[in-house]
Amino acid sequence: MPKPSDLLQGTLDLLILRTIARSPLHGWGIAKRIQTLSGDELSVGQGSLYPALHRLENQGWIRAKWEESDLGRPAKIYSLTPQGRKQLERELQSWDRLSSAVRLLIQNA
Amino acid sequence: MRIFRIIQRRARSLVHRSRADAELQREIEIHIQQLTKEAVAAGMTETEARARAVRNFGPIDPTKEKCRDTRGVNWIQDFTQDLHYGLRILLDSPGFTAIAILTIGLGIGANTAIFSIVDAVLLPSLPYRHSNQLVAMFNVPVKRPDAIAGISYRDFTEYRKQNGVFSEIAGNTFHDLTLTGAGEPIIVNTADVTPEIFPLLNAKPLAGRTLLPEDGKPGAAAVAVVSENLWRSRFGSSSGLVGKSIALDMRSFTVAGILPASFRYPEGAPRQDVWISVLQDPLFGPLASQPRVGLLGAIGRLKPGVPLAKAQAEMDTLSARLAKEFPDEDSGLTIRIKPYWETVIGNVRLALLVLLSAVGLLLLIACANIANLLVSRATTRAREIAVRIALGASRARIVRQLLTESALLALLGGFAGILLAVFAVRTLRPFLPSEIVQISSIHVGGSVLAFALLLSLAAALAFGLAPALIATPSNLQINIKEGSERTGKRGGQHLRNFLVIAEISLAVVLLVAGGLLLRSFALVTSVNPGFDPQNVTEAEVSLPQFQYSTPQQWRAFSNQLLARLDAQPGLRNSALAAPLPMDRQGQANLEFSIVGNAPLPRGKSTSANYQTVSPEYFRVMRIPLMSGRFFSEQDSPSHPKVAIISETLAQRYFPNQDPIGRQMRFGFPPDTNVSREIVGVVGDVRDVALSQKPGPIMYVPFAQAPLYGGEVVVRSSLSASSVAAAIRQAVYSIDKNLPVTDVESFPNALGQSISRERFRTFLLASFSALALILAAIGIFGVVSYSASQRRQEIGIRVALGAQRADVLRLILGQGAKLALLGLGVGIVFAFLLTRLMASMLYGVSPSDPVTFGAVAIILFVVAVTACYIPARRALRVDPLVALRYQ
Repeated sequence: MPKPSDLLQGTLDLLILRTIARSPLHGWGIAKRIQTLSGDELSVGQGSLYPALHRLENQGWIRAKWEESDLGRPAKIYSLTPQGRKQLERELQSWDRLSSAVRLLIQNA
Repeated sequence: MRIFRIIQRRARSLVHRSRADAELQREIEIHIQQLTKEAVAAGMTETEARARAVRNFGPIDPTKEKCRDTRGVNWIQDFTQDLHYGLRILLDSPGFTAIAILTIGLGIGANTAIFSIVDAVLLPSLPYRHSNQLVAMFNVPVKRPDAIAGISYRDFTEYRKQNGVFSEIAGNTFHDLTLTGAGEPIIVNTADVTPEIFPLLNAKPLAGRTLLPEDGKPGAAAVAVVSENLWRSRFGSSSGLVGKSIALDMRSFTVAGILPASFRYPEGAPRQDVWISVLQDPLFGPLASQPRVGLLGAIGRLKPGVPLAKAQAEMDTLSARLAKEFPDEDSGLTIRIKPYWETVIGNVRLALLVLLSAVGLLLLIACANIANLLVSRATTRAREIAVRIALGASRARIVRQLLTESALLALLGGFAGILLAVFAVRTLRPFLPSEIVQISSIHVGGSVLAFALLLSLAAALAFGLAPALIATPSNLQINIKEGSERTGKRGGQHLRNFLVIAEISLAVVLLVAGGLLLRSFALVTSVNPGFDPQNVTEAEVSLPQFQYSTPQQWRAFSNQLLARLDAQPGLRNSALAAPLPMDRQGQANLEFSIVGNAPLPRGKSTSANYQTVSPEYFRVMRIPLMSGRFFSEQDSPSHPKVAIISETLAQRYFPNQDPIGRQMRFGFPPDTNVSREIVGVVGDVRDVALSQKPGPIMYVPFAQAPLYGGEVVVRSSLSASSVAAAIRQAVYSIDKNLPVTDVESFPNALGQSISRERFRTFLLASFSALALILAAIGIFGVVSYSASQRRQEIGIRVALGAQRADVLRLILGQGAKLALLGLGVGIVFAFLLTRLMASMLYGVSPSDPVTFGAVAIILFVVAVTACYIPARRALRVDPLVALRYQ
């Protein structure tokens, strides 16, 4: 199995926000879901996942609550705040701009 | 809302720090458990799976630290943590902490104390409106621009009328008058002014009015303005004083108004009690009509926007015009103007600047010392710091913590310094020379505290930064393995050596400056003044001039007084003189001419100090007779006028001639042109200041040139207080309305005359002593640190057969090398800097080889002695232990 590629700088916030936009999730779940949904192409290192979660929480884009979870015990579940939803849209737009620009460059260069 | 939530969350995480940490721990634990479960599912054993999970998760502590950092309140926690930690570290090594705090405290304390004095003297603006427009004016001879003289009343009036650059000019002079009829007779310091001075200085009376222009006209009614002090102390704050009359020198003046205690002019002059028009003064009033007598000092207010240079140019033109118009009196004279503040601060300025630079140097030395202590500690702590970096502390974090530590030290030191300064200012205040203005306003105040705080913070940055940077080298492994040794040899040792050399050279500069002042002070105090002040008591008696208005009365009084003193067994040896050497009111310098010599060219004149003395004066003062004779009772008004001259006068103006029998023309105004026969030559006397070479002096018999009072001098083996009582009693028995003031033993009065020199010498000497101590501590610290680092090396040397002497030479040699380097640099700097203080020195040159040599020897001996303790310790090293060590 090839090693999952490193995340592009700055995309981690986008991935986290997008992942919990569907439904609130705990840290482990977020890591798993990113890996699964990307077809094992992307993997988030724990060393950056948790600091990122805490940072986003401090910025008020996500909030966390200790709740019963699918892990069979209470876990810290992260969900999107209204501001987080707006931030997600902004990040999506800028990602679209970036990726189409990169695609254009690759096709035409 | 978002902001609100963020703040709430941050506040919560600050308050519930441990809960937040526990939750983080739990969250991470869950993640690891999930990883473990996955691995077990893949077929691993429980332990294997757990180990793999932890490995996969990666470094846990740095992750946690990063999470904490996102909380954004971390710096507060870090700060309190640093503070705790810093305090613990400081308490762990009380010796280091005490030395460090004491060192900073001494540096900052000396600085704050001196700054308090400077703050009171140099910094506050003068208490007059737009004081930068104020200038002082003097008459100076064109040939000798440093000889300042007064302006005659006529010239003053001309300048006032003709100039176009000043909005106002006022004149003033001082005279002591006797106030009677309000309790015991006292002498009041009277300012003789022209009335313009009050609006010029914006004086607002407490009651009544100040002098009006009409009061300054000739023939106006006599009115006086009294001070708040006099009003309170002599007139019981009576509300009806204005309009009443008071008696000054037995003449009646109507009180026009009362001025508040805050009004003084000039700044720094003795307390003033009464202001009258100069024309009403019993002495100066008549002299005002004599255009030869320069009796006024003048102050002017420049018109707005007129620069000093333009005003000076205009005054040059004006004085040239006056010199043409009145060649007899004004030729060769010109006017010099100076910003007023310069004349106020003038003579203490250099001394204060020297003191300020001295304390600045002292603070630098203190900082270098602390830096040294901290660098030594930082290198020994290199291992601890390396471990902390390995555990996830960022470099910035470490720097921050070290800075917190040194800031803590600096603040504690600053606090100690402020305590020291308060104590020092309180102790020093009575020793301050009285001419330093506004002594009462010297205190450690807000601005001074701010200064101290700034200093301690600057010091913290200065000496906190270097160790912080050295302590975080990039190569962690070396630090962890070899700890202090490596860094100690690389960055640290060079820096420490540099600091010690700098410290020693600064100490050399201070020691040389202190040494020069000490030497010149010793020379001044041991100088032979030309008379013997021991067992001599002086007292001032002054006669009210309206009651005692004729020379006959003055002469009669003096004869009577001397006769009464003579009648008392213990007081046989008494005389009267005016003025005395080192008189606080200054000396009288009069022009003279020598009969038989060709007249001097216009604009040139010869002058000498003048004293009128009773016959016994020379015997009482033990001034030796060189040739001719002393005065005697026969030199009375009915006999030929005689004079005695000093040796310097004889040598300077009668070179290779015998002055005895020659005639000189001179005299106290108005008898300026009296010819007198020289009957004797006496030894030189230092009459202006102990530090000033004796100049020419001419003496006349009091009976032939009486004054309205004088100084009684009595040589007696009785105690000074019983002599004083006897003099008082003798004076009161003649006239109970006569004040006797300034009764003092002569040696005391001499001591007063050098109080300024004594003060600055004392201060600078204490600074250099402090500097020496600090430098000794510095070199001791460096050498003992490096000796302890070299234990292993020394052990090997001893094991290989090195003798005690070799080891001693090794350690002492290091200290001696540092000391010699510092000495070399310091002596060069001292040589360059001490010439700036040449005018403060007496009898020694700024590059005095004795002082330089003594300083070099003292410093070298102290430095090597400071190294002897670590050298002894190195000698006791057991080679076995040393080799096993580490």
